[in-house]
Amino acid sequence: MLMIVVACSGDHISPGKDLYVLQKPTNFPEPRYTFENNRITKEGIELGRALFYDPILSSDSSIACANCHQQVVAFGDPVHRFSKGVGDRDGIRNAPALQNLAFQSHFFWDGGVTHLDFTPINAITSELEMAENLSSVVKKLQRSKTYPKKFEKAFGGNNVTSQKLFFSLSQFMAMLISADSRYDRYVRNEGEVLTSVELEGMKLFRVKCATCHASDLFTDGSFRNNGLDVTFKPDSGRARITELIGDRGKFKVPSLRNVELTAPYMHDGRFRTLTQVLNHYAQGVIHSETLDPTLNQNESLGIALTEEEKSKIISFVKTLTDKTLTSDKRFSNPFLK
Amino acid sequence: MLTLFFFLLLLGSCSEPEIHDGPGTLTLHFDNVVGDANLKLNTTNTPYINSKSEAYKITTLRYYVSSIKIKNDDGSVYTDELRSDGSAGYYLVNESDADSHDIVLENVPKGNYSEVTFTVGIDANQLNQGAQTGALDPVHGLFWSWNSGYIFMQVEGESPASTEAGHVFQYHVGGYKDVAGSTSQANNVKTLTLGFNGDVAPVEHGHEPEVHIIYDVDKFFNGPGSTVTFTANANRHSPKSCVDIAGNISSAFTVDHVHAN
Repeated sequence: MLMIVVACSGDHISPGKDLYVLQKPTNFPEPRYTFENNRITKEGIELGRALFYDPILSSDSSIACANCHQQVVAFGDPVHRFSKGVGDRDGIRNAPALQNLAFQSHFFWDGGVTHLDFTPINAITSELEMAENLSSVVKKLQRSKTYPKKFEKAFGGNNVTSQKLFFSLSQFMAMLISADSRYDRYVRNEGEVLTSVELEGMKLFRVKCATCHASDLFTDGSFRNNGLDVTFKPDSGRARITELIGDRGKFKVPSLRNVELTAPYMHDGRFRTLTQVLNHYAQGVIHSETLDPTLNQNESLGIALTEEEKSKIISFVKTLTDKTLTSDKRFSNPFLK
Repeated sequence: MLTLFFFLLLLGSCSEPEIHDGPGTLTLHFDNVVGDANLKLNTTNTPYINSKSEAYKITTLRYYVSSIKIKNDDGSVYTDELRSDGSAGYYLVNESDADSHDIVLENVPKGNYSEVTFTVGIDANQLNQGAQTGALDPVHGLFWSWNSGYIFMQVEGESPASTEAGHVFQYHVGGYKDVAGSTSQANNVKTLTLGFNGDVAPVEHGHEPEVHIIYDVDKFFNGPGSTVTFTANANRHSPKSCVDIAGNISSAFTVDHVHAN
């Protein structure tokens, strides 16, 4: 009887057999992703992983997600300030690291996408990235020798749809959890010891940085102008989405997890080193209408930091490096065996 | 063999019950016209004339219909099932796809129906539930990935009067929310209720009435919201820029007649 009901009500997703329960790290907030609509399965993750590493998603089969999101650097782009799309086109922003995405509510530097499922659309359809259209991607996948079978295993039915494509990529991306750094093992009392310099750095960090880089996600998810520029003509950031003058020059506060690996820094990748970043906060903050108030207190710009304090903070943020994420075989290129 | 067996089982399970009091089917047929003429896409000339005396042709006409309710003479209302991921209850009427002109409501309880209510527009708040399918599948090219939402009334064509490149016009009506201070967001979603002009659509097993709904492009260009000229602002993409023209949507739909069948 159940079969009959299902058969009559159209094209339903039936998740693969191997259900996977995503374990929330104990020091993390609750996830935001709608797992109830997209149950994670081993088959779904495997499909998402293949798609993530397959240039079939781009118009000329030259660019995969993984081109600009490389595992070895927490799924960021270590080489390019502005990542390269098809035909060697320059993007307009630095590719962000991909980690702990199931715990975020806004995506991209301007937060213009509010659900993880929709994030691939922008990369696939942007002329500067994969320059492809969705119906063409779906057709290519349907025609391929291998994908229809993988889609069937992951979601049932022999047809490829964009929904299944996005669901599988979300399953893979949701799995990219970084919660096994030395810092994590220290705060969870798992026997890790931080050095005295790292601990002093942590104390300084909590006073001077954690207003924005808050919680164990090391971001509060807000949009702020951190004093990089006076005018915002080339990229107005959050205001591109909200069209509010008051949002000009604001960008999403990035997580600092794996920050040791994710150079270059800032939305436009203008800083190559962590020292440059801290020098910016100590001496380089520029005033503008929308400058974050936390960087303009007591009539002084930026964050007061001595050289020694900068060095300690850098020691601390390096404890956020998570080799488990960057070496996990489940997330590596499945086409290289 | 197993497949065949399953297919037969499917057919069997979906056929209607053999009783006359059982539910039936009601079809909403959308007929797109321009004034007195049936709409023809991509004509070689510009056969239509708007109320500003500007000649034009239409190259694309698509719109979303959803949240359909039909009212029975006894006061009860049948509500078409709506699933927020787009897998049911959302319909994309596309002039160039004849099949899409018929919205077939199945398993409608027996009764005499005399009024239909539907929404032109997509309340994209549902997008917080994730990837969409069916009529809402982004492959249709009507999904805005930044600032997520849908174009739900797409009217494109050409007019010698248009000052845009290639003399084109593109009215992409979308927008489901008013945002204070925003220069682009607006709520252009329209919900319409249309009576059957004294007719009834008698639904029962064996009778499959069809309600013939006309969408008049001429009225989309000339209604209570605005009288459109192609000489200015003929490419409109942001919700705010379409507020006036969206005010014409409701009056562009009328019920023409009912086939009792």
